Amino acid sequence: MHALIIDDSRTMRSILKRIVHELGFETTEAANGQEALDVLEAGLQADLCLIDWNMPLMDGYTFVTRVRADQRWRNLTLMMVTTESEHSQIVRALAAGAHEYVIKPFTAEAIVEKLELLGLHAKEVPA
Amino acid sequence: MKILVVDDSRVMRQIVIRTLRQSGHGGNDILEAENGRQALEMVLAEHPDLVLSDWNMPEMTGIDLLDSLRQAGSTVTFGFVTSEGSEAMRSRASASGAAFLIAKPFTPEAFDAALSATKVG
Amino acid sequence: MITVDQPAVQDVYSVVEEVWNTFLGDGVPILPGARDLPDDAWYSAITVTGEWEALILIAMPLALAGRITTTMLGLPEDDECSTEDLTDALGELVNIVGGNIKSLMPGPSTLSLPLVAQGAVTTTSDLVEVCEVGVVWHDEPVLITISVPKLAGGAS
Repeated sequence: MHALIIDDSRTMRSILKRIVHELGFETTEAANGQEALDVLEAGLQADLCLIDWNMPLMDGYTFVTRVRADQRWRNLTLMMVTTESEHSQIVRALAAGAHEYVIKPFTAEAIVEKLELLGLHAKEVPA
Repeated sequence: MKILVVDDSRVMRQIVIRTLRQSGHGGNDILEAENGRQALEMVLAEHPDLVLSDWNMPEMTGIDLLDSLRQAGSTVTFGFVTSEGSEAMRSRASASGAAFLIAKPFTPEAFDAALSATKVG
Repeated sequence: MITVDQPAVQDVYSVVEEVWNTFLGDGVPILPGARDLPDDAWYSAITVTGEWEALILIAMPLALAGRITTTMLGLPEDDECSTEDLTDALGELVNIVGGNIKSLMPGPSTLSLPLVAQGAVTTTSDLVEVCEVGVVWHDEPVLITISVPKLAGGAS
């Protein structure tokens, strides 16, 4: 399975990448919503997007609305990765079609649980 | 006493649980739910004595959870732990059947006062 | 009515511990403890505005800033970190710690973007420090401080 990691922080991209690698995903990174859309337009077959909220050029909310408006990506699972400050805006993201969200700091287990709920069966986290 | 703590932030759940224990009302069986839907399932399956819930949860608010519980016939004691403690919110909480609302920043003393008043456990 | 204008030290410590265990877990735990910071310590800052107003600072020596950066970026321990990497990692750290500290206090409120710099961030005279949590990691100090506007009065 393939995850598209969208965050302007290299640090957060690294953390997310390591977590989903351990769960058996291959990854592609994007530093903002526009870059992520470009990569999807170019034909990337992703199953899951992990999306930051505040990014330059195109933020997480806009990315979600653009993806949900396009039939090509109707099977793409969208998970917001958020700090508490964006908490109040999660309602908007969910209304726009994001499937799930996770609050920092999050454990690998938390991500696995949410993926299971969404029907994406990740590997067990190694003990 | 069995207590269910509901908050979508794991860090906040940990802090609520620690403060509960410090207040002397920790009980010996604490369950966690990270959203209203999960909480609803757990109350109906596990029958806790008390539910402590955040108010602002994106998918189902704490108030919606409480209303759903009461509609489902649950009479479990329910209290809010939340970042806004306005009169309007307290009235709303009370109207839906909450026993108390503890506003942040919360202290072990505030937990003790609220829980002792409900005579839970 | 008694108003408490800052989180309890123990709650702040819990937040820091949780963040460390989750994103900086390398087998070495943080421990409570206070030690002096060097003059060339790195500071990351974030502000909270709204129902609660505060400046949150996290300070640490360069070596620890580097360790935090390499750990979060998944790089080898002795890799040299660019200023850009340090700024990114320390900014993310104060963002996550700050966000969780913010959720201990009354809302609604917003977090600013983080600011990272080397050298002491001195607070202006209209701020008063109300909470200080010192921890030790790999034998080096990390200091978390919370300051609020003086007019808020602090806890009396």
